[in-house]
Amino acid sequence: MSSNSSRHAIKISRRALIGGAGSVVLASATASEFGMPYIRSAAASDPIKIGMIYAKTGAVADQAEYMAQGSLLALESRKNSLLGRQAEVIWLDEPTSQAAQQNAERLIGEHKVVGIVGGSLSPSALAISAVVKKAKLPFVAPNAGAIDLTGRLCNKYTFRLQPPADVHTRVLAPYCAGLGKRWYLITAAFAFGQDIKRSFTEFAAANGITIVGADEVPVNTADYSSFILKIRAAKPDVVVGGVPGSDISTFLKQWNELGMKGKIPFAEIAVGATDLWGVGPEAADGLFTLNWYHKNPNNPPEEQAMAASYEQKHKRPAADKAWMGWMAMNAMLDSIEAARTTEPGAIVNALENWSVQRGGVKAGYRAFDHQMVNRLLVVGIKPKITDKWDYFDILAETPSTDREIETVFGGQAQSACKMDRL
Amino acid sequence: MFDMIVSQAVNGLVLGFLYVLIAVGLSVIFGMLGIVNFAHGAFFAIGAYLALTLSREFGWTAALVAPIVTGLIGVFVEVALIRRVYGKEPLLGLILTFALALFAEAILRLVFGAAPLPFSPPRFLSGFVEYGPILITKYRIAVLVVTVFALIAFWSFLRYTPFGRIIRAGSRDAEMVGLLGINLPIALSSVFGIGCLLAGLAGMLAGPLWTVNPSMAAGAIMPAFVIVTIGGLGSYAGAIIAGVLVGVVTSMTIQFHPDWSSAAMYILMAIILLVRPRGLFGEKWERFE
Repeated sequence: MSSNSSRHAIKISRRALIGGAGSVVLASATASEFGMPYIRSAAASDPIKIGMIYAKTGAVADQAEYMAQGSLLALESRKNSLLGRQAEVIWLDEPTSQAAQQNAERLIGEHKVVGIVGGSLSPSALAISAVVKKAKLPFVAPNAGAIDLTGRLCNKYTFRLQPPADVHTRVLAPYCAGLGKRWYLITAAFAFGQDIKRSFTEFAAANGITIVGADEVPVNTADYSSFILKIRAAKPDVVVGGVPGSDISTFLKQWNELGMKGKIPFAEIAVGATDLWGVGPEAADGLFTLNWYHKNPNNPPEEQAMAASYEQKHKRPAADKAWMGWMAMNAMLDSIEAARTTEPGAIVNALENWSVQRGGVKAGYRAFDHQMVNRLLVVGIKPKITDKWDYFDILAETPSTDREIETVFGGQAQSACKMDRL
Repeated sequence: MFDMIVSQAVNGLVLGFLYVLIAVGLSVIFGMLGIVNFAHGAFFAIGAYLALTLSREFGWTAALVAPIVTGLIGVFVEVALIRRVYGKEPLLGLILTFALALFAEAILRLVFGAAPLPFSPPRFLSGFVEYGPILITKYRIAVLVVTVFALIAFWSFLRYTPFGRIIRAGSRDAEMVGLLGINLPIALSSVFGIGCLLAGLAGMLAGPLWTVNPSMAAGAIMPAFVIVTIGGLGSYAGAIIAGVLVGVVTSMTIQFHPDWSSAAMYILMAIILLVRPRGLFGEKWERFE
């Protein structure tokens, strides 16, 4: 009896072993394919590790993929080397803001990273910011637009590339005002969407514009038709959007489907080019602010070189989010090199002094709130789209000189940030 | 205001029927196989991607093959994986289908990329119809017609064909059906395939309305689960009524309290379950007691 049991047990164990080994091989191969390079590189001896937190699933996964590829390109262009040592990126997911916070803690506690880049959405970036403040580790957020990140909740260790919603609003709102005085707001029900709603409402109040309707929509809304019927009934002159990632693609598809394209102008700040590429040429419509565009002839030579490298590697043009990931990671890597150490305080000081010349504007992080000042693009959809990667006409680059920066970004007096110390 | 309510009700009805199509497959798979299929949304997404690819390569007519291919993929998955968890701990089925959902999303991301892909309705269905306060697009009318036709066809299949009777009998007592000499594994594979076919059909129809991206399953699977729960697990009629209810309640919430729109269906579910814990048409099934 015991012999039979034993034989039976061995048989099951063997099958389990083969199955388990197969699973491990499959999981390892799959993991390396799906953007988890740390699994392969974890065995390397004592490299400098940079943490990266970008969404691998959800509404902003496509934007995050571009940001991750841009960030990885920044390190690859240095031959994966920093301070004469091997350097590697450890990429973790951000399915929710709570998970982003936990993954930031993992990066710091488990992987001993020297800095973190990422946070595709504002709630994630705010959560990571709270972690790095406690752990005293530099963090650069490329994409999060919530005002609080470099405002009320700013801290010495958090830097942000994306201009906050109020800055984008100052750039785009005058164009919207030129289209009409009755606005309808449709914004996402999370930090960035609420900032957009507040900023545009304040601008409207100060400029004699009437808000005829304002809806907050849940993230990942699959069907906007009921919202569009409300907008149609309200008969606004302009619709101001504030829905993130692929949600704007869904909205614009249904906007076109319900015959609204061309009837009421649509405008939204801080979109990603990929969101519009996903809409398709028939349905794409609107006026937007973008941080960067690969077809902009005014891009500096090093950014043109980055765009060429990206296209060669990924067989598609670099979207604005790729540039944002690249720029944020470059700032971190340049600052580590400039600091000549991985000591957090030295990197933070170097980040505060980091800058690059972009046309007439010196782009860099302000010491008093760690917000990057930079130029923004106002773009409109081309009347006729013939290239599936070229949807936009550039209408303006603002601010175009260092003198205009304070007008667009505001000054220290307007900032809610009370910067702490190292 | 009355005009807006009518308009939103009609819009909610169309949306609800699309949800029904997703939910019916889920309900049938649960009723017959006893599997809570977390991967159902993945088959919805696969249907959308297949339809998009086929329509790009060969035109919209070719996209009609997408649900059938999705159904065949479903049969393969049932034979290779799902049948290994029949009669075992329900948790195993949950874990397996949840893993399948993640795996399918990762594969879609690897093959098609993470970015949303443009997918438009066929040209002859572009445009819309206005009737008083009601505005409805031709494509949504087509979706409604196809969905109703598919639901009637599937109901007739279950009701009037010998194979349908086997499926219905098997859903109540699979062992007895087996003892009567019927090849149950083939019936079970077919049921899973049909459920996936319906999910693929819903994906094909939703692709031009929603955004085709690897995460699109998330927008489908939660309403489907809510509808199946409200209607009563395994109930065909329950799924249809619950789907329409969810669609209309969501539309009305958008009209009056838009920030609550995603929570509305869960509140509806909670209220119905408080009154009828088995759902609207839920019955006592011996095998699940």
